[in-house]
Amino acid sequence: MSRFKAGPGDDIAVSLDGVCLNYDKTGEVLTDIDLDLEKGSFNFLTGPSGAGKSSLLKLLYLAHAPSRGNIRLFGRHTQRMKRRDLAHLRRRIGVVFQEFRLLDHLTAFENVALPLRVEGQKASMYRDEVIDLLRWVGLSERVDMRPPSLSGGEQQRVAIARALIKKPDLLIADEPTGNVDFEMGRKIVRLFVELNKRFGTTVLIATHDLELIREFNAPMLRLSHGLLAQDRDLRENQ
Amino acid sequence: MRQTPLLPQGDAREAALFFVVGALCFLAALSALIAQGTYTAAAAWSAQIEGELSVIVQTPDRALAEDLADGIQQINGVIEVNLLSEEEVEALLQPSLGSGVLAGSLALPLLIAVQADVLVGDPSPDITALMSAMSIEGEVNAHSGYTAYVREALRLLRFVAMAAVTLLAATAIAVIAFATKAALLARRDIVDVLHLSGADDAYIARLFEKRFWVLAVQAGIGGAVAALAASAAIVFFFAETDGIAAQLLPQPDLNRWNIAILLATPIVAGIVARSAARVTVISSLKEMM
Repeated sequence: MSRFKAGPGDDIAVSLDGVCLNYDKTGEVLTDIDLDLEKGSFNFLTGPSGAGKSSLLKLLYLAHAPSRGNIRLFGRHTQRMKRRDLAHLRRRIGVVFQEFRLLDHLTAFENVALPLRVEGQKASMYRDEVIDLLRWVGLSERVDMRPPSLSGGEQQRVAIARALIKKPDLLIADEPTGNVDFEMGRKIVRLFVELNKRFGTTVLIATHDLELIREFNAPMLRLSHGLLAQDRDLRENQ
Repeated sequence: MRQTPLLPQGDAREAALFFVVGALCFLAALSALIAQGTYTAAAAWSAQIEGELSVIVQTPDRALAEDLADGIQQINGVIEVNLLSEEEVEALLQPSLGSGVLAGSLALPLLIAVQADVLVGDPSPDITALMSAMSIEGEVNAHSGYTAYVREALRLLRFVAMAAVTLLAATAIAVIAFATKAALLARRDIVDVLHLSGADDAYIARLFEKRFWVLAVQAGIGGAVAALAASAAIVFFFAETDGIAAQLLPQPDLNRWNIAILLATPIVAGIVARSAARVTVISSLKEMM
């Protein structure tokens, strides 16, 4: 299979070479994935349920190591890195999930500030920055509220703000519009586009929503039965 | 601005753990107090008896015995020499033979009580040599020999108490490790989010370390206070027995060593809990993400 390459330049943010993943001995979830995502590119990842989208994303945000093959993030081979270095590399990646994954006992402010707190920054240093970001995602009135008292759309925006607070080099979103209504879904993706244009963040969004992909007209990766297909052919066939 | 702890406040599981760690600390502190008490008891026995000797002289010639006593007084390390009177010897024998034995013309040896400085050494060989030189039949009986059995028993008791402390510490480590693992699994959602936010294993381990440090120190204080109360009850019991039990058994009291044990209990408990939590979290995280 030919290598999938997204983006106009040669500056690679994410590179996968012959990557395979199997959680147990029952079979491969991902097979021989070759992929380059250029710095500053905006991409969609789609495919049917069980195709391996979430598994691919887990490899990219370093929650799993591949069974075979190599992954390079920002030019660094992840398999050769120590756990501590992987944790530090993860700080350059923002992740948004369909189910938000917010900490219910923390306020919206504290959830957003979590990556900065983990880095050891003092609250007084980042307070204004967090407030500004919450204002940007339209939650300036919800700063001190905890996730259970926020709507689904509000929770997703808190999760997005958390993913963006450190202006990550790579933003990975796993079905970010899955638990919000149509309008909120579009608004969230527009936030990602704005981030991509404003900070040059590389964005990869996994979604089932083909309408969304067409609307934003970005390169598309398609996974089917653990295999990655090139998007140009798919677009032409749709 | 006060930040919310990243690990939510404790639940019912932690209350049960607090009780278990507190009980272990109580037992460990009590065992350590008993172990320390054996040192006190052994020291008291040694101080009282180890420097004492009895010289049994097989002659009715009291003048010769007095000469021997004068000679013993000159030996290096001998502090005090006392040739016992007939009344004193009868008083010593009275518990075994009853009163009036001397009136019954039973031939009794003369006794010389010697108090020696234990730091200088045992004067028995010099006394024996002096008796030979003066052609006096008799024997030297060092009382330290009688304490050997008691000291051996106290050593055994001390060993058992220290083994109990070690066993309890090992149990505490196992309990904390088990509780940490359970807490880690129960808070897996938080751990995953922390990992994704860039936290390394050491950062996550510190959260659990802090939690179990606080819990163990508080439980240790409870256990130490309970051990203090138990010690006070035992001391009170000994006082009520007119000192009979106190002469035979290790005596818990509140000397500086015992206070040090009670003060150290929560700190040691905290350190043990913290270390067990750290090792457990670091090893478990490698399996999680």
